[in-house]
Amino acid sequence: MIDSLRGAVAAEWTKLSSVRSTWWTVLAGLLVMAAGAGQLAIYVANGNTNDDPTDNAGVVTAGRVMIDAVELTQYAVLALGLLAVTAEFTSGTIRTTLQCTPSRGRVLLAKAVVAGAVTFVLGLLLGGVGALVARPVLGEWGSAPAAGTIGDIVAVATYLALVGVLAVGLGAALRSAVLTIIVLLATLMIVPLSLQEPDIAVLNRIADVFPGVAGGHFLAGDTDPYPGAVGLLLLAGWAAAALLLGRAALRRRDA
Amino acid sequence: MITLRGLTKRFGATVAVDVLTVDVAPGRVTGFLGPNGAGKSTTMRMILGLDRPTAGQALVGGRAYRELRRPLREVGALLDARAIHPARSGRAHLRAMARSNGIPAGRVDEVLDIVGLDARAAAKPGRTLSLGMGQRLGIAGALLGDPPVLMFDEPVNGLDPDGVRWVRQLTRTLADEGRTVFVSSHLMSEMQLTADQLVVIGRGRLLADAPVAEVIAGSGVAVRVRGPHPDGLATLAAHLTAAGATVEPAGPDELTVTGTTADRVGDLAHELGVRLHELSAHSASLEQAFMELTADSVEYAGGPTGGGTR
Repeated sequence: MIDSLRGAVAAEWTKLSSVRSTWWTVLAGLLVMAAGAGQLAIYVANGNTNDDPTDNAGVVTAGRVMIDAVELTQYAVLALGLLAVTAEFTSGTIRTTLQCTPSRGRVLLAKAVVAGAVTFVLGLLLGGVGALVARPVLGEWGSAPAAGTIGDIVAVATYLALVGVLAVGLGAALRSAVLTIIVLLATLMIVPLSLQEPDIAVLNRIADVFPGVAGGHFLAGDTDPYPGAVGLLLLAGWAAAALLLGRAALRRRDA
Repeated sequence: MITLRGLTKRFGATVAVDVLTVDVAPGRVTGFLGPNGAGKSTTMRMILGLDRPTAGQALVGGRAYRELRRPLREVGALLDARAIHPARSGRAHLRAMARSNGIPAGRVDEVLDIVGLDARAAAKPGRTLSLGMGQRLGIAGALLGDPPVLMFDEPVNGLDPDGVRWVRQLTRTLADEGRTVFVSSHLMSEMQLTADQLVVIGRGRLLADAPVAEVIAGSGVAVRVRGPHPDGLATLAAHLTAAGATVEPAGPDELTVTGTTADRVGDLAHELGVRLHELSAHSASLEQAFMELTADSVEYAGGPTGGGTR
């Protein structure tokens, strides 16, 4: 079992690393992060120096700015997990993959392990780049305490890894890249934003359960409405549920 | 050894494979023939555990494919030559397959060598491979685990004459090594040259499972009868039909008769006083045998030939 899972993981890594789109996605993520963190840092500095005292944020950590930039950057990272699955259905290689590893659960687990590991490492890189860009732009309005910044970077990497796994599971369940990205956008952003819009307590509570919002509470280290760790668990629960859904679809449907 | 037991697949109301029971034995090339939509590809996908049978079983070496631990070492299969990621090189495609089943990386170069893909061709991205190169790559993937059972779905599609001859020799060699070789094709003439045994299906049903020679012999000998008097020929045709033979007009002055012999047609013509200009026996080709076997089961009569795979 462990032996054949190792083989499946090695195969998935070979497949992911042997297509150029993977590396373009990494590059796109880095660029979006650098641009996003730089822009958000400029906003903070401007807000503190303009004539309007209501938008003064005061001194902000580089980690905080970098975390805010993840909201956009995550979609580049999502594409990695997504394409690792949906490209197999588009090109028909899913049949080769299932010939090599007939256990549907093992195939999906291997994809989740590889996508999770790659997005975690990429997340570390993105977090580092984001903080490095944000800190000098913030100037006197910024700080970068070593322990706090490293904590933020690891948190971002963890968040992205779980969202990457979520994308793998959904991709297996939905098969189509377009459909999967729509569902991801909806669950991460559109639905919770719509729920929060009227600012009604019960709708806000519902929105808090969605993966993007839960991840946001985890990244911000919030204590309200629940501790950050609960946000992490909620997000992990979503990722696990997506994987189970994907496994059920792979088992039930003909390839 | 491939064992099909009452294998059945329904897609909604359509029966793709209908209670198929077949043993594909090792040490010989078994041809898998049938018209378009006969259920050949669906059968192969069920053997590989890709499609779930509605009923019945498909076993390889006595076990279901989904239970195999290192399946590439047990069964090698070429299903769809176009199924390669457009941006991935053939070599990376094979390397991923090898790693999944714990096959040493050196084997990738070995199989590339066997199928005649050089380093340059193996480095090209999937989208630039011709159908012929895709077939060779697919066959390389099938050979990767040095398996005792091999399945090829339409392996000569897109190959040039050299390639066709090469596949013929390869399947022969693999069978002579004692492996089970199961090859589907709609090219009957090719099967006549390649296969030892034939499994013929139509509309998902088994029509024949016999040595090639037997399938051809089973369709009997066709007798060509040509004469100058259409009325005489019509009389002869009526008597032949009454005697149990099958008569088909082959032209205004010609008949094709099956299910009897040239001697008996000649005797009958003499008795009836019908003048003949030609009476000749023709041994049927596999093509004819195939047409007769599948005459009632062609799903798309008059449609184009070829393809039929998804």
